[in-house]
Amino acid sequence: MSLQPPTSPFVPFSPNPALQPGTPSSTTPLSIAQKPPPVSSASLRYASTRRSIYDRNLNRTQRAELSKASFAFLFGEMIQYAQKRVSGIQDLEKKLNIQGYSIGQRLLELLLFREGRSAKRETRILGILQFIAQTVYRHLFNKPADGLERSHDKDDEYMLIDHEPVVNTYISVPKEISLLNCAAFVAGIIEAVLDGSLFPARVTAHSTPTDQYPGRTVYLIKFEESVLEREAMLAGGKP
Amino acid sequence: MVILSVMILNKAGGLIYQRDFHEGLHKLSSNDFLVLAGTFHGVHAITSRISPVHGSGGLEVLESENFRMQCFQTLTGTKFLIFAEPHQPNIDVICRRVYELYADYVMKNPFYQIEMPIRCEAFDRHLMAYLKPKQ
Amino acid sequence: MSFYFAIIGTRDNPLYTYEFGTSKSGGDGVARFREDQRSMNQFILHSSLDMVEEVQWTNRDLYLKTVDRFNNLMVSGFVTGGNIKFLLLHDQKAEDPIRQFFTEVHEAYVKTLMNPFYEVDMRIVSVVFDQRVRAAARKYL
Repeated sequence: MSLQPPTSPFVPFSPNPALQPGTPSSTTPLSIAQKPPPVSSASLRYASTRRSIYDRNLNRTQRAELSKASFAFLFGEMIQYAQKRVSGIQDLEKKLNIQGYSIGQRLLELLLFREGRSAKRETRILGILQFIAQTVYRHLFNKPADGLERSHDKDDEYMLIDHEPVVNTYISVPKEISLLNCAAFVAGIIEAVLDGSLFPARVTAHSTPTDQYPGRTVYLIKFEESVLEREAMLAGGKP
Repeated sequence: MVILSVMILNKAGGLIYQRDFHEGLHKLSSNDFLVLAGTFHGVHAITSRISPVHGSGGLEVLESENFRMQCFQTLTGTKFLIFAEPHQPNIDVICRRVYELYADYVMKNPFYQIEMPIRCEAFDRHLMAYLKPKQ
Repeated sequence: MSFYFAIIGTRDNPLYTYEFGTSKSGGDGVARFREDQRSMNQFILHSSLDMVEEVQWTNRDLYLKTVDRFNNLMVSGFVTGGNIKFLLLHDQKAEDPIRQFFTEVHEAYVKTLMNPFYEVDMRIVSVVFDQRVRAAARKYL
């Protein structure tokens, strides 16, 4: 029988298959949607140094720090950008949540990759919450979260406490919208880490100021039913 | 360190912040403060023109028996007026620190509209803590 | 030795597939599956997803070794932090080389994720990614 070269179902150089050419999606500018897909390798653009993101070392920026002022300006612009497109506090917090979500997805994979050979996935609720409170928090803000509690009356709710969220340092919310907490951005990051590890949850940020910490924020984490059922099964399996 | 009050003027000479840090000061109405700010803005502009030395800035220090006023103008035209007791040393340090607090808690606040009156709770809090530490 | 490699997303959708043969001891890197066998490869791999989902809750490692068997074929699995599964269908046991291969693909996958225009569960179409996977396959398997 003649040997045929294996035809891989993988199609090189095809444009992003999630987008159909010719039908403008809500996120692509019209010009891209109407361009015909490139068909030859000559149309793929490389940087002149022939380096792509695959050549960058993932551990190179492990200890890099970002200036607080740079982040504050960028974050302020993100909030203003979101504010123009929404009407209401809930929508604004949702927009910030979405902005943080994609960061959380990437952070989860990156941090687990950086742990190297001893990396372990989290399978229990307490494990993943500790991962967020310690590893993720330390990576983002150079300090662990200030507290992790479980709600007394509801067993699907957990609370992550931050005395002074770094993202809120320079922000003063006007009295008219005092219910807004811009740490909804961090809540989005936390929600993505939980969703990615298969602990679907809704995470919201609430301001709970005290005299000592006027900016104290509590992230309320509400897990879905399926998570509690699985947790109960796993706990029952190994007493 | 005894600071009597602080005023901040925007580029056009409008008053955007005024706060007293000492008791027993003569209270003016908010309209009076606005007039005061506008007047100072004009005086500052005039003094920079009539100065015999070419290319000098405007009025910087105004000293009387009861108080000393120092004006710090930033590169963007914002003026910080610090009213202090007559023999208060190191007002420049104080000016710079107030400017730093302004750059942090006012300019980095996404809810603050530039050149509008300052309504930033964090700015008030930090300014209070700096100028009246025993409060 | 022939291999069939696939990356499966969070909705059990394939993101990337690659069929190859061994490059060690005189192999030319071309897969040699029987014709009827080839059409079953994808099927076998996807049905082993059930086994992976069972094992991933008791085993906290990323590399899951052999998760399923079908006739003379074995399926080895690797789950990333974001629940993306790398599955390899192979006919001979070779734990360590497979582990090293998975680690290299994992690195390439994380780099793909770092692209802000790439979202989770999108098909991986980058040529460079393909080159990395092929190079890793040549190096370890």
